[in-house]
Amino acid sequence: MNHSVLALVPALPLLASFLLPLVPGAARRLVGPLTLLAVAFIGLNLWPLVQTEPMVLAVGDFAPPLGITFYADSVSALFVIAVALVTLVLWPWSGSDAGNLDRKQSLTLILAGACGGLAVSGDLFNVYVFYELAAVASFGLAAGARTAAAQIATFRYVVIGSLCSLLALLGITLIYVQTGTVNLAHLAQLAPLKLHNPLGLAAFFMILLGLGVKAELFLVNTWAPDVYATAEARVSGLLAGLVSKLALLAVVRLLVLIFPLPEARDALLLLGMLGILSGEFAAFRARDVKRMLAWSSIAQLGAAFVAFAIPGPAGLAAGLAVALHHLLVKPALFLLADRWGGSLAQITGAARNSPVSAGLFVLFILSMLGVPPLPGFWAKYLLLSGLAAQPEGLWWLAGAIILLTTVVEAVYLFRVIGALYGRDHTVTPKTQSATAVIGSGVFAAVLLAVAFSAPLLALPLNRMAVQMADSAAYIARVLPPVLPGVAP
Amino acid sequence: MNMIELLTELAVMPLIAFTIGLFMVLMMRKIAAKIQRRVGPPLLQPLYDIVKLYAKKTQNSHGLVHDIGIIMAVGGYIAAETMLPVPGMNGIAAKSGLLALAYVIMIPSLGLALGVGQCANPNGSIGIARALTAMLAYDVPFVIIIFGASWFYGSNNLIDIVAHQQAGGIATWGAAKMPVLAIAALFSMYAMLGKQPFEIYVAPAEIATGPMVEMGGKYLGGLFVMQCFQLFTASAIYVTMFLGGGENWPFFLVKLFAIIAIPMSMAFVFPRYRTEDVLAVVWRWPVLLGLAGVWLVMH
Amino acid sequence: MTSLDLLLILSGLTTLAGFAFGNHRAYPWLAGIVLTAQIVILASMPLPMAAGFGFEMFGHPVGWQMDGFGRFFALITLGAALASVAYTGGEWGERYAAGGKNLRWLHGALAGNVLAMLLLLASGDLIAFFIGWELTSWAGFLLMAQGGERALRAAMRYVPYAMAGAMAVLGGLVLSLTWTGTLDLSQLVMLVPGLANWKLALLLALFGTGFAIKMGLLPVHLWQTPAYAEAPGAATAFLGAISSRMGLFGFGLLLVKLITLTRLADLSFIDGLFSARDLIEWVAALTIVLPTFTALKQNDARYLLAWHGIGQSGYMLLGLVIGDATGSAGGLLHVFNHATYQAALVLSVFAVMHRTGTADLNSMGGLVTRMPLTFLVMLLGIIGLAGLPPMNGFVSKWLIYRSLMIEGRPLLFLMTVLGTLGTILSVYKLIHNTFLGQLRAEHEQIREAPWSMLVPMLALVALAFVTGVAPGLALNYVNEAQAALGLPVMAHTLGGVESPRGSLDMLWIVGVLFAGFGIGALLFYGAGGRSKRIHQLDNYAGGHFLSADVRYQYSDHFYAGLMHRIGPLYRGSFTQMEAALASANDLLASLMQAWYRQAVPALTLLIATVLGLAWMIWR
Repeated sequence: MNHSVLALVPALPLLASFLLPLVPGAARRLVGPLTLLAVAFIGLNLWPLVQTEPMVLAVGDFAPPLGITFYADSVSALFVIAVALVTLVLWPWSGSDAGNLDRKQSLTLILAGACGGLAVSGDLFNVYVFYELAAVASFGLAAGARTAAAQIATFRYVVIGSLCSLLALLGITLIYVQTGTVNLAHLAQLAPLKLHNPLGLAAFFMILLGLGVKAELFLVNTWAPDVYATAEARVSGLLAGLVSKLALLAVVRLLVLIFPLPEARDALLLLGMLGILSGEFAAFRARDVKRMLAWSSIAQLGAAFVAFAIPGPAGLAAGLAVALHHLLVKPALFLLADRWGGSLAQITGAARNSPVSAGLFVLFILSMLGVPPLPGFWAKYLLLSGLAAQPEGLWWLAGAIILLTTVVEAVYLFRVIGALYGRDHTVTPKTQSATAVIGSGVFAAVLLAVAFSAPLLALPLNRMAVQMADSAAYIARVLPPVLPGVAP
Repeated sequence: MNMIELLTELAVMPLIAFTIGLFMVLMMRKIAAKIQRRVGPPLLQPLYDIVKLYAKKTQNSHGLVHDIGIIMAVGGYIAAETMLPVPGMNGIAAKSGLLALAYVIMIPSLGLALGVGQCANPNGSIGIARALTAMLAYDVPFVIIIFGASWFYGSNNLIDIVAHQQAGGIATWGAAKMPVLAIAALFSMYAMLGKQPFEIYVAPAEIATGPMVEMGGKYLGGLFVMQCFQLFTASAIYVTMFLGGGENWPFFLVKLFAIIAIPMSMAFVFPRYRTEDVLAVVWRWPVLLGLAGVWLVMH
Repeated sequence: MTSLDLLLILSGLTTLAGFAFGNHRAYPWLAGIVLTAQIVILASMPLPMAAGFGFEMFGHPVGWQMDGFGRFFALITLGAALASVAYTGGEWGERYAAGGKNLRWLHGALAGNVLAMLLLLASGDLIAFFIGWELTSWAGFLLMAQGGERALRAAMRYVPYAMAGAMAVLGGLVLSLTWTGTLDLSQLVMLVPGLANWKLALLLALFGTGFAIKMGLLPVHLWQTPAYAEAPGAATAFLGAISSRMGLFGFGLLLVKLITLTRLADLSFIDGLFSARDLIEWVAALTIVLPTFTALKQNDARYLLAWHGIGQSGYMLLGLVIGDATGSAGGLLHVFNHATYQAALVLSVFAVMHRTGTADLNSMGGLVTRMPLTFLVMLLGIIGLAGLPPMNGFVSKWLIYRSLMIEGRPLLFLMTVLGTLGTILSVYKLIHNTFLGQLRAEHEQIREAPWSMLVPMLALVALAFVTGVAPGLALNYVNEAQAALGLPVMAHTLGGVESPRGSLDMLWIVGVLFAGFGIGALLFYGAGGRSKRIHQLDNYAGGHFLSADVRYQYSDHFYAGLMHRIGPLYRGSFTQMEAALASANDLLASLMQAWYRQAVPALTLLIATVLGLAWMIWR
């Protein structure tokens, strides 16, 4: 496969989103899904190729560190596939009118393109560009519910988001000033000399906060509950499930390649712990299902930050497991919460009308709580054993917090189960929509497939983590050593 | 020992116990009479009483459980007697031991409770509630004492316990070796007998509010038999644990009667404790003494 | 395919069948046959028996293997399930289904519990153990939640407890892995005792908390009573008989096998004065006494029995931790014994409920004349629960008392006896208020429970009686469990124990007891005048004649005198502790929500950035 297909990952959806309004008639509705299928196809073809050797594309044949670099290892390939398929499942099939639908589909495609771009970007500047694209698209989508509450929530999101983008840009600028490059591989080479100092750390912290907005990092996540509660369910699912993971991925790339320092890890660990604590406890008091899911997602992402903070492949494996599990579970829960949002009292007895959806809901909840043999358990197992393997102190505290907050999590999630299966003859809960059932059914099928094949998946996960952790290989792959007598 | 000999013992032991029990009742009444400056009953009065009760024409039954309660009350003690060694006879003492005996003698109480419960008389039920509370009261020091004795003798086997004490005369008696426990045991046995001041549950003075309220004829007769057994059993357990058991019958009888005579000489000058006061007094003094005794034994 | 595979497959199929057509009339028969087959397979299985399946996860093999310790519990599990399923087979199930409840869920959950427990009991490594542990917890939840509104509430209360327990166990699992590098039980057994004291203490705290919650040890016992009492009848019997014993199974593995009792005694808190072993013994002893006296105050028969279930578990743990041949045999035997009489008792209470519609001890009485066989079941059951001869409960408690005597633990001994005495009071109240005293007017037309319910009840008490007379039958399996745990094995005879320092021969004791009853009966029926049956209202009331329009049953505040003395000691401290924890949680939650409701996120961001940068620069 030609390396230039990497460029198609962000380019195809972006192109499609701009061309979408121009496509006539019924074909217009096919543009998005077909584009996404194409991206998924690229991702699937990429996967076997990058297993042993990551793929690098230097756009315009400017050899790195000059020019734009795309880089795909197995993690990138996996996320490309995930971006395409998850977006497809959460695709906006209907809207209030044609214009509205066009807008939604275009924005969703932009989001998918930006996410794909984040997955394969090999330089800091591109990361920033795609990140901004994703931000703009998500602002538009979040406000798309067209209610006052959604618009207020989005405004808050815009304020925090733009401030943080500024911070990120500032951080990138600092790094550029120090090193004169934004290519990740080049930065990785130069970092020990030029960036492993307070200034570099400050830059990292600013980028962390900047990109952390989308990843629901504690400190910059106060927008999340309101936006998720007011936006359409699929949008919440996309933001919480997908976009957050790509932002996380970008942060982790920085951490692994440029800032593999204890200070940086501590920052991730601390903020992750605070995210877990604040998310789980806030969710405990939530009386609104969507808001509850939003807080729970903050907590889950906190756990992912904690996991990625663990040094070495063990941490990356745990982080990937936690993140991918959340990617599977949370969008599905948001889909189901579309009809079952609002207060718990309103869904009392909903299991009678919609037994399948209720069953799916329970399945996702159990997995999220880490009940074996569902995948959530293995993720939690990896995370905890990774933490326990570190010297005592903050790491063990994080482990203890995860164990304790799971209890809180169980209480509020079981509250939903209790409501679903409870009896109250005064309310008639809404039945689930077919799209929600099908969508979450797809996620559930994948979840169960993962559960049954978990022993087989352990090895690839580990391989991915090892590949991702190997920064020397990354440098060598992007910037091949120029040996005398060997053509570059 | 062959089986016939054993079976004979099993048959004879309850009979002896019953006979001794009858005389203990007589002694009890005689002591009461002496204290109250009366003449007291003739020698065979207890037996006459039982015969009279059995022979009465009015025999009111409240149903099968009422009958079974009386049967359990008497039968449980009959079984208990075969577990208590007396001079020349060991019965199944080696197969049961002190601990099992302590639990077997709860069966008559349970039987009585069932029988009274079936009487459908709320006043009877009140009496049983009090009786069971009293049982809770006196069994606590009792088991402490059992523990101490069993630890001291290194055995749960009553035959061993007796042999241990008889090895060196009075000096090796339990009472000589464990005086504190012996005093505590006397106290708790006193409470167990259900005489003044611990007689609230029987409430003989106001028959309407006690377990006996619906008991007449042979039902009361059965309980009378039970009382004979109870007196013997309590005394024999004490003698076995603390006074060297039975070397021979004359000594054994002296000890048995003396042990019953001590509380009886005190009982009839007392008024009555309320249920909660029974608990308070029994859970305080004999329990403290018992624990102190156990501590002394173990150190 | 090994016979363990077959056992688990049969269990899995029963679960599927239960969910699929548990409402069919034939299902209880089918399940009964399969369960019986499973009991036969299990009992005849050569040990240890490994499962033919398993997998490897992150480099650690996950597999299943049944040993003598697991089999002992597994047999009880299957037996309890058999009795419960049989009970649902007739009228009870019909009434249940007619009440709008779903038999499929009940049967599915019941069979699912059995499957989960078998997986737990046969686990060969900690991952398999944790899988079984979690499945057991949530299958238990499913069973608890089915009794209606109150049951659901009770089950919800169970959730944080269950999750806390699970997470504690998971924490222990992860630390074991970190410190020893393995999760395989057979290797952990060799490695764990060599760990440093503080590591052992931490493992003990984590695993111990998990197991204590499942078992309902003080102070984490509060969930158990309502959850077990409010479940549907057959489920209550099953839960009460075996479910919480999984905690004991865990303790057996942890205390005896992994940490070992000698190392446990090394973990001392106050300079050798008080060790972890003492701590566990005292927790067990308090678990005997306090819940028993709480049971004494209950006015609902189901709650009363559930509280006793907690209390009796203290005996089991105590026996196990004493750890000598006699004590551990007593503790383990009590698991079996308790299962038999407790299941019978619960079923008898639900049989009464089936006829009267109530379990309120203040609104029954005199039912013995209407339901004599149910009375018989309850009578034998309470004799077992109280631990009096001739039932099996006496034997296991005797073994525990005896070992405390031999080991010289007077205070613990006192606690165990206090528990027994309290139980006697409490169960007398149970049987008195249900079956004795005055029959109420509305119950005069009541009939005996149907045979479909009586047969399992009678079979259970018959089992409790037979193993009381001949405890050797059950002690064979106990010995196997002791050997599998590495405990000293208690030599026994058919009738009990033979020892020069104090034997117990139940064959003789029960023999003379029944001979005594026989003579008592001869004396009673053979001598004296004929008795005449009189009406319940024909009785003496000291001037206040009870008449048909004023029926009076002495039931409420039954032990008034006792309560006058010990009543002030009931302070509800544990409930208050639970409530305090919940409030603290709530407070924290509102603080956290306040963070997300802040008015000026930009300002917070600014402050945070400045602080963060400062930290990064100056640290």
